Amino acid sequence: MELSRKITNVDYDQKIKLLKAKVGKKGYWTRSVYNLFVYVLLFDLGFVFLFPFLHMIVTSLKSPDDLIDTTVRWIPKMLFWRNYVTAADALNYFTYFKNSVLVTVLCIVGHILACSFIAYGFARFNFKGRDLLFMFVIITLLVPPQVIIMPLYIQYSKFRWMNTYLPLIMPTFFGFGLRGGLFIFIFRQFFLGLPKELENAALIDGCGFMRTYWRIILPISKSAILVSSVLSMIWHWNDSFEPVIYLSSPKKWLLPIVLPQMYETLKSMQIGDLMLEPIFFNEGVVMAGTFLVLFPLLVVYLILQHQFVEGIERTGLVE
Amino acid sequence: MKILNKLGLFTNKREAQGYVFVFPWIIGFLMFFIYPLIQSIRLSFSKITRITGFKMEFAGFGNYAKAFVWDINFVPMFLEVVKKTFINTPIIIVFSLIISVMLNKNIRFRTFFRGLFFLPVLLGTGFVMQQLLGQGVDQQAMDLSRGILLPQQALMYLGPKVHLVIQNFLNLITILLWKSGVQILLFLAGLQGISGSLYEAARCDSATEWTMFWKITVPMISPVTLLNIIYTLIDSFTDTSNPIVTYIIDVGIKNLQLEYGAAMGWIYFMFIFLLILLLFFIAKIFIYKTSDR
Repeated sequence: MELSRKITNVDYDQKIKLLKAKVGKKGYWTRSVYNLFVYVLLFDLGFVFLFPFLHMIVTSLKSPDDLIDTTVRWIPKMLFWRNYVTAADALNYFTYFKNSVLVTVLCIVGHILACSFIAYGFARFNFKGRDLLFMFVIITLLVPPQVIIMPLYIQYSKFRWMNTYLPLIMPTFFGFGLRGGLFIFIFRQFFLGLPKELENAALIDGCGFMRTYWRIILPISKSAILVSSVLSMIWHWNDSFEPVIYLSSPKKWLLPIVLPQMYETLKSMQIGDLMLEPIFFNEGVVMAGTFLVLFPLLVVYLILQHQFVEGIERTGLVE
Repeated sequence: MKILNKLGLFTNKREAQGYVFVFPWIIGFLMFFIYPLIQSIRLSFSKITRITGFKMEFAGFGNYAKAFVWDINFVPMFLEVVKKTFINTPIIIVFSLIISVMLNKNIRFRTFFRGLFFLPVLLGTGFVMQQLLGQGVDQQAMDLSRGILLPQQALMYLGPKVHLVIQNFLNLITILLWKSGVQILLFLAGLQGISGSLYEAARCDSATEWTMFWKITVPMISPVTLLNIIYTLIDSFTDTSNPIVTYIIDVGIKNLQLEYGAAMGWIYFMFIFLLILLLFFIAKIFIYKTSDR
């Protein structure tokens, strides 16, 4: 009895092994060819995605001689850091950098505080007209800002907000601003996915609804906050449409507006220093300037990249 | 009884608390949305008589008629933008789905690639992007990377006409790929949400990867596809490098024809709104709902 069972067991094991080997061998080849194809395609596409940055960095480090020399494509003969000095001078980088950081940070803070607050109301409370209001949140996203920019312009000039950062910052504190509705949507989706038990426990312990939001909900929604901040940062930092309209005095400008002006500044500098420095204005300097504008964004993104990508998967954005 | 009473009171209180949370949004809605929106409707139907005090008088459909009948730029530009959007949106959706399906497989450097494909979003669509496109960076990128998959000789073999078509298509794709970072991430998040047991069951019934893609992945991911289509549409319609948007701003603010700019803006918005409404109706038929399971 014992023996026969053992024998059948062995038979069975061997059969499975044989089967596995058969399937494995057949699967191995198709799979490895498929995998190779996927890797080649991914690296190829990855290169396309990385290319603008590589081009920017390499070109910005080329000396005027390297720029003309067609044999120099990827590796400059020497690293020409002077491009960056020229570009930073022409951009007046540090002044405008401060302006840009100020506006972007305030807008992010506004978006996070307001949108999470509003979204919590939409996600957890049942009141009359809630679904209708939420539909309007989505509709605000559909309206291109260009449609209402002219009345807003008139309105802000009545408020005496012209030439200040208020038209850019204030709407974010009310859940508007650049794609405010989207952030309300993100936070709502995230809150809907949270278990209700936590809040109920807080309620039983006598925690008020404001405190529940501030002390319990906000601290556990780090991933949603991170995703929203990164997106808000990218859009506000790069936005030049609204600032151009609302900020007329050059002192208040932000980096994305200054960049196109850099050409003009550089040309005037070139004429002024014609005798001393013959070649000032070239592709290298332009790319250096562009890279300087992008640089803060790039640094923050590279630091937060991993959490950001994981966060999008975790916020339940797509359920 | 007491409990019920309390419960009843509680729901009322809950309702009030809900309004407290939504209150800031309502203020913002009135101040930054409804009021300017109504103003812009008024503006589009009137004629400014004195620019200093924004004095205006009713002008009927004059501004709208102007856009369609008198203005030689508006209608062709509008059609061009619409055509471009209808070509670009499916391409973006298909490519970002393909990329995200590849990334969703158990491959090495997965996190690296996921971060990488989002990078061009940082460039934005503004001046930086224009700069790069001006230097022909998109073409260079495609030319270089195409060499790996499709060697020049293979293309030449197909004949000059096919060669040209392929090259034009690839050049178009580069810019679109750069714009699809958000869509790729959303698709990836959606793919993560599909439970593995579905694929396992299909594998037990000896389904191939190809059938599994069409019978499981595509239907399961359809809600995300809708989200992505809407995102892509809005993104391309409100893009500031969009010619019609620039035109509206030029006419409205730089030439100070505010009323005409507002009218054009409204024509544009109504079109987007109807399009998205239509999309929702179509989606109701095709989208797979988890509740129907």
